[in-house]
Amino acid sequence: MRTAWMRHPGLMLGLAASFAFALLGLLSLVWTPYPIGDISIARRFAVPSPDHWLGTDQLGRDMLSLIMSGTLTSFTVGATAIIIGAGIGVPLGLAAAIYGGPVEWLVLRFSDLAFAFPSIIIAILIATLMGPGAANAVIAIGIFNIPVFAQVARGGALTISTLDYVAAARLAGLSRPAIALRHLLPNIASLIIVQATIQLSVGILAEAGFSYIGLGTQPPETSLGLMLRDAQNLFLIHPWLSIAPGLAIAVIVIALNIAGDGLRDILDPRLRRQEVGRVAG
Amino acid sequence: MSLVEIENLTIRFGGRPALSGLSLAIARGERFGIVGESGSGKSLTALAITGLLPDAAEATGVIRFDGKLLPTDERAMAALRGHRIGIVFQEPMTALNPLMRVGAQIDEALDLADSSTREVAALLQEVGLDSSHAIRFPHQLSGGQRQRVMIAMALASDPDLIIADEPTSALDVITQRRVLDLIAEICDRRQMTLIFISHDMRAVAALCNRVAVLKAGELVETVPTEDVLRRPKAAYTQALVDATQMAPRANHDLSDQDLLLSVEGVTRAYSRNGLFSRRQPPLMAVNDVSFDVTRGEVLALVGPSGCGKTTLARVIAGLDSATSGTMTIDSTPYHGADLPREKRGDISLVFQDPFGSFNPRLTIGKSLAEPLRLLPKLSPLDREQRLIEAIESVGLDASMLTRYPHEFSGGQRQRLAIARALVTRPRLVVLDEPVSALDVSVRGAVLDLLARLQSQFGLTYLIISHDLDMVAAMADRVMVMEAGRIVEAGSPKTLFADPRHSLTKALMAARLPDLV
Repeated sequence: MRTAWMRHPGLMLGLAASFAFALLGLLSLVWTPYPIGDISIARRFAVPSPDHWLGTDQLGRDMLSLIMSGTLTSFTVGATAIIIGAGIGVPLGLAAAIYGGPVEWLVLRFSDLAFAFPSIIIAILIATLMGPGAANAVIAIGIFNIPVFAQVARGGALTISTLDYVAAARLAGLSRPAIALRHLLPNIASLIIVQATIQLSVGILAEAGFSYIGLGTQPPETSLGLMLRDAQNLFLIHPWLSIAPGLAIAVIVIALNIAGDGLRDILDPRLRRQEVGRVAG
Repeated sequence: MSLVEIENLTIRFGGRPALSGLSLAIARGERFGIVGESGSGKSLTALAITGLLPDAAEATGVIRFDGKLLPTDERAMAALRGHRIGIVFQEPMTALNPLMRVGAQIDEALDLADSSTREVAALLQEVGLDSSHAIRFPHQLSGGQRQRVMIAMALASDPDLIIADEPTSALDVITQRRVLDLIAEICDRRQMTLIFISHDMRAVAALCNRVAVLKAGELVETVPTEDVLRRPKAAYTQALVDATQMAPRANHDLSDQDLLLSVEGVTRAYSRNGLFSRRQPPLMAVNDVSFDVTRGEVLALVGPSGCGKTTLARVIAGLDSATSGTMTIDSTPYHGADLPREKRGDISLVFQDPFGSFNPRLTIGKSLAEPLRLLPKLSPLDREQRLIEAIESVGLDASMLTRYPHEFSGGQRQRLAIARALVTRPRLVVLDEPVSALDVSVRGAVLDLLARLQSQFGLTYLIISHDLDMVAAMADRVMVMEAGRIVEAGSPKTLFADPRHSLTKALMAARLPDLV
């Protein structure tokens, strides 16, 4: 296993960058260089300096503190949406695979329906009903994630359920849910982990989008998308205010995608088996 | 001069040698066999000659083709493969492109070989296929036909060397024999050099004039075929030759035994719901089959692939349900999946593929304990005892219960699969091709084990197989199945001495000649 990790420098880089940002975000819970609500018109538009590493914005808030806190919001929203998506989607996908028939039809049609509505429509709908906020973004992205996880779980489970050990479990009198829990879920876990990494980056991007158009996080809370929104009017005069959060979003998303790709390479049993198959005999 | 010369070839994976210090010289026009068990490095040798080793492999040593070193440049190597070396792989379904008509695939091989003279139709004819097959897709052909297409593709470049890596192990006996005969015939006609890779000494002996025996990455000996058979020098070669012999196991006196299972008019039909195929009759996988199984008997069901024998086994074991007809075990009638829970422990099934029959994420102990759910009255101590008893009865150690499936070889896994089948102390064990996925060299040991367990626990076996030698050695009674129906039945001695039905005759004729 160790050599497999070594052979994927991209994976190491992606994971390291993702974890660095996640830690930065977590750190903002207990410490930021300046409180993010600390407004001071006197020091606004400061350039990066030893006092303010990334400068200050139009209200004199410390950019580094804002980015740390914004990163935390992004990761929290993305991760919660994954918990919603996987928590509902994976059982649905497994149910579709093991019961087939009408259950499968229902799950697939529900997936089609959820795919047909872009998450932005869901977000607008929820914002209309409950008012905008981070929770709104979480629910919208979470709903968008459900069919994604359902499809991945169903596909993986269908492949595995043709194997003899599943037949052996049926002969041993295990119920279908028991087979799903004991035999299918552990063997599709790697697929789900890979998908979760990708969906985390999709979720972070979507949260930035929602906040940018005003449906997501609301001030005085902050998020990377909200920072972009605040900075857009000043882009020509103070481009740095947009570039810093924009770069942060880009780096996080790219890092997560690289990590997801690398994880797929080492975890996906199909790819691994091919490698073994070629040298067997 | 030799066509292929290998000097001191060593192949390592992550520092571990998979093949060490192999030296071979294969003369032009020779039919050369490479024989060995799984993991002996025989396929790696072929991959090294064709320059197709996986990236993770580190190879040292010298390979010369027609006096010249193999080119290191990938393009030059590809050109060499395209023009002078033909390759036939083990599994023709995955080696052919499922989205291309086979004629187009052969045509592509012709293009790569820059040979304008040969035609697709001529090549198909040479491998014994009608030229109308060119417009078909791989899934529309049978396994044997696909393998013929693979051979036609390998012949497209009019190669000097053809490498066949276990070309028949995915085929049933009749097709296997035909494909082997075809390869021999083509090599004769074209004066081609053949490298034939197999774990079956008999297939190699039927086809090759010289044999290299590999064991765990090392060359045991290289000898002319006749010498291997008459006086093998190395003990290992002798063991491989002996493994092809199946000594008959003791027959059982069943005169005073009572009925265990009776199958009456069982039919399993699959409806074919195509878009335009409403009027198609359903596919009868099993068609009105009736027979009785006596307690303590070994009953074998033989037939070519696709004759419905596995479907019948799954219905009897309770994985699938019969469309009509009933089965009765111990005066409990059932139709398949409705087998009552308290009776499920009485029938168990051993699967063909030892690699797919264990969950890779569960320890062996957990997998073996699974059928014990059918016996809820067992105390935890008794369960533990049952597991230890089962694993020890198949000749493995109780300490292995905590290990994971990937730590075991194919033969060991099949022993473990048998242990799982025995853990509920069943009366009827259905064995679906119990040894056909195993190396010839370990088949004998597994069959011995099955025979011993049968007498030890008073088991009744229903063996599904296409291997007549195995059936002749194991069974008290044989049923021959074709297209869902049982066409002939009798004791192996009388049936094989005087086959009546054309299928039985064909199966008999397809047996490879005995070595000794």
